[in-house]
Amino acid sequence: MTPERDEVSGELTTGHEWNGIKELNTPIPKVFRIWLWGSIAICVVYWLLYPAWPFVSDYTKGVLGYSSRLDVQEKVADGRAFRAESFAPFETTDVTTLSEDPDLQARYEPAAQVLYRDNCSVCHGRDLQGQESFPNLTDGHWLWSSTPEEIEYTLQVGINTTHQDTRYAEMPAFGRDEMLAAAEISDVTDYVLQISGQPHDATAAARGEDLFAENCSGCHNDGGVGGLESGAPSLTDEAWIYGKGPDAILETLKNGRAGVMPSWSTRLSPAEIKLLTLYVLWAGEGDAKQ
Amino acid sequence: MDTKHAKLERHSMAFATAILFVASLGGLFEIAPLFTIENTVEKVDGIRPYTPLELAGFDIYVREGCYACHSQMIRTLKSDVDRYGPYSLAAESMYDHPHQWGSKRTGPDLARIGGKYSDDWHVAHLSAPRAVVEGSVMPGYAFLSDVSLDTARLPSSLIALSRTGVPYTDIQIENAQLDASYQGDQDADYEDDLIERYGPNVQVRDFDGNPDRLTEMDALVAYLQMLGTLVDFDTLNHEEIAR
Repeated sequence: MTPERDEVSGELTTGHEWNGIKELNTPIPKVFRIWLWGSIAICVVYWLLYPAWPFVSDYTKGVLGYSSRLDVQEKVADGRAFRAESFAPFETTDVTTLSEDPDLQARYEPAAQVLYRDNCSVCHGRDLQGQESFPNLTDGHWLWSSTPEEIEYTLQVGINTTHQDTRYAEMPAFGRDEMLAAAEISDVTDYVLQISGQPHDATAAARGEDLFAENCSGCHNDGGVGGLESGAPSLTDEAWIYGKGPDAILETLKNGRAGVMPSWSTRLSPAEIKLLTLYVLWAGEGDAKQ
Repeated sequence: MDTKHAKLERHSMAFATAILFVASLGGLFEIAPLFTIENTVEKVDGIRPYTPLELAGFDIYVREGCYACHSQMIRTLKSDVDRYGPYSLAAESMYDHPHQWGSKRTGPDLARIGGKYSDDWHVAHLSAPRAVVEGSVMPGYAFLSDVSLDTARLPSSLIALSRTGVPYTDIQIENAQLDASYQGDQDADYEDDLIERYGPNVQVRDFDGNPDRLTEMDALVAYLQMLGTLVDFDTLNHEEIAR
């Protein structure tokens, strides 16, 4: 059972034998061995250059002083500097002045669209038309005014958020919190249907008018035309965030609403917020109605 | 033939032991030191254990297998940081048992989802994903709104976690059920108690839009809305936590 030299190939055998069958012990090709030892040599170089070997309470830091975290910080900062250059007007100019520049749209709309789709489209829709619970941004109806600074401010602080300067607007739960009786809520519903030009019960609406003046006009103003200072929507137009019709209105009166627009000042840069403000203005019908 | 090799090969127990030794080298050098190296987990301000309601949400997240499609690990890559925000810190998942880093992104990373969208959106999206996001392949979880949250098991969850090293205090364990119920109810006038026990970063409100009932949806949305919100990255010293 000792290795012997095979006559045909000239290689040694392993020394095993099974019923007269012997196994060649051909060494692996030299190129693989060179490759293996070469890889190990490269490892040694890496060990010296980069963080590598652990000890009990610390590890070797490597002579390059490399840190993946500082590295990514640097790359992100480079990216920001590059964007600041490409979006130079947005870095320095205020949003109102920017909104008066007719040349910006052609150049910056594609970038704004990417930003919008990354952050805003899941609520307001890819076409900015909104969906139930989330307002349409293109229809010219505004809750907090249509001026560029006010839109920018909404983007920064949000509505009903945890941001310290947040805009705040809450429709009280008149039913659940027992501020109005069920019959009164039904009357107010009819009044709201009346002023928004929908089918309604005229006698109930007449009763609801006084209730509306007492309870609702503080925010929604006389006749329900809405108020930009309180973020209360107009109830006389065709724009309905939570749906039109008696069921949706009744539900709002009963259980209240307090829609949230997130605050973006910690997530997006001031320039990005300006860009999104303009994107909304470009897409919309402007200030057709409030 | 090399006689040492031949000897090893012919002694099965010795060979098995040798294999075990070689195979354990990786763990010995790559895993074991992480438990003793002092800066494995950064010391940053703001990290706290989950409130009972958030913990219930975490458990639902695990139960429903959200980790199969969503990671919670923003890597130190420019593309990741650009898209999702500051890279994840070890400290941010130090109280996760098990951690939810994940390894696959069929959906987006969720490590900084907290505060990005409103509660209403989360509820609408969890209930019917394609109603709000065109082309989404996420399954719907509408049933979460119909299932009352079982808070009875929370004290034992907190005890179990405290045995693994999560620093829950006796007061937190004692009040776990109450804390969970009232974090989902802004009218309960209980916010100060929660802030006293868990710090200023606790969000108290009705998360699922149904103030009459504490549901699994409340818990999951409460959990999602706190993800990635504990550390203030504007004041973080990146040199100090350089790795």
